[in-house]
Amino acid sequence: MPQTLEIRRSSASLWGEKTGMRHLPVVAKYIDTTTCIGCKACEVACQEWNDLGPVPTVQTGTYQTLPNLHPEFWNLIRFNERETDKGFAWLMRKDQCMHCEDPGCLAACPSPGAIVQYANGIVDVNPAQCIGCGYCETGCPFDVPKFHQKTGKMAKCTLCVDRVGVGLEPACIKACPTACLQFGTKDDMVARGRSRVEALKANGFDHAVLYDPPGVGGTGVVTVLAHGDHPEWYGLPRDPRVSPLLRLWKSVLRPLGAVAMLGTLFAAVGHFMYQGPKEPREGA
Amino acid sequence: MSSGAPSSLADPAVLRARRTEDVVVGDEIVRHRLASRVIHWSVALLFFLALFSGLPIWTPVLGWMAHLLGGLNVCRWLHPWAGLLFFLAMAAMFVHWLGDMRLEPPDREWLRPRKMVEYMKHEGDEAEVGKYNGGQKLFFFAVALGAAGLIVSGLVLWFPLSFPRMASELATLLHDLTFILFVVAVVLHVYLGTAAEPGTFHSMVRGTVTRRWARFHHPRWYREVTGERPRHP
Repeated sequence: MPQTLEIRRSSASLWGEKTGMRHLPVVAKYIDTTTCIGCKACEVACQEWNDLGPVPTVQTGTYQTLPNLHPEFWNLIRFNERETDKGFAWLMRKDQCMHCEDPGCLAACPSPGAIVQYANGIVDVNPAQCIGCGYCETGCPFDVPKFHQKTGKMAKCTLCVDRVGVGLEPACIKACPTACLQFGTKDDMVARGRSRVEALKANGFDHAVLYDPPGVGGTGVVTVLAHGDHPEWYGLPRDPRVSPLLRLWKSVLRPLGAVAMLGTLFAAVGHFMYQGPKEPREGA
Repeated sequence: MSSGAPSSLADPAVLRARRTEDVVVGDEIVRHRLASRVIHWSVALLFFLALFSGLPIWTPVLGWMAHLLGGLNVCRWLHPWAGLLFFLAMAAMFVHWLGDMRLEPPDREWLRPRKMVEYMKHEGDEAEVGKYNGGQKLFFFAVALGAAGLIVSGLVLWFPLSFPRMASELATLLHDLTFILFVVAVVLHVYLGTAAEPGTFHSMVRGTVTRRWARFHHPRWYREVTGERPRHP
């Protein structure tokens, strides 16, 4: 699979943001929550490959390493216990950046090039351009990017862009012992997920789904959920989308505001040319 | 006092008088004493500092402004502090000028749309205009309200991760809307205070206006200050 770092989209950029000559296949991670055994090998692999941590664990009453993603902990297995129609279930899901097709972080970012989406769909933060405003965290429907106090920058999963770029699979995928994590083109991963969902349905999990939410244009992480009617049981939003308020101000209020401000300036100049200065008449 | 004020400027008595507002100094009248002018220019300077450090964050079209201040990282640091100081200066200005800005019946009359159009067409009847006209008072209260909106939303945007997501999103919207209206108002304010009405800018720099200016733009204030009777043509 050819992988380069061609850029498809760049934050706060107008023209010339795309560098791509080539049409590259979009890549995706496949996560099957039904065959995850919660071993956390992916967590360790992520820390090692990315030279992160160590981050002290936090006891939350489950096997979960931390309550949430962390600027130095980008890959977290979430452990949830639920009473389901099939009885008690122990649900584990690998949480990380979802690499949205339409990333809310990128839309919210005010700094040119601080968040980029590569042609292969990977969404990445460029710390050199990041101004640490935190808007990406607010804009992300999955609450993924985290502000690092030490660096003053945002940090998150890169989908191992440095590995993928040279034809390797991401570190987390490499480490998974049950093959519940897989990596390939988005099309292949979606096909694999669909067949797995069919198998689950045949085994009585009527609500099984492949989580690939359309509200953000689909994600670069497709997740098989046995209880797809309850994505929140896995810590996933039901219908994630980029905030309409964000779109309202960036696409409507901002151009209107520019017109209003420039219009007032022109009106003032026009008024002066037509009316001239207001001064007392001679002899007043 | 034949050829105008400049010859009298070095007179210590005149300089002292300039620290008191609404007094006649030779051929001129002190309209803005030193304290008023210092407060006004503090507000103005901090406004433009906040504006030019905020605009490149608002849109990449104005990214070049960030370079004038040392880059977008500097703006991200500078903008909230400039905004905070701007708000404090605005608060001082509000207290300082509130007494002069109470809306009176002639001001309400002045603020009727037809009257404002007449004013802009230089056809208005200004006979009852005191030290500040209805438009100036409206501007005063509008920017005070605007500054309140900017500080409330600005504090949320300064620390967006300390507030619920909906609060950050609404703050963005409020900050955006308020600043646009603020800029529109400031453009009008600067225009009316400089090119449109000669002599006005001088009052905010040196503090004084000519009798002629005062009689023309603010007749009632002129009568109050000088004790002259209204002139009936």
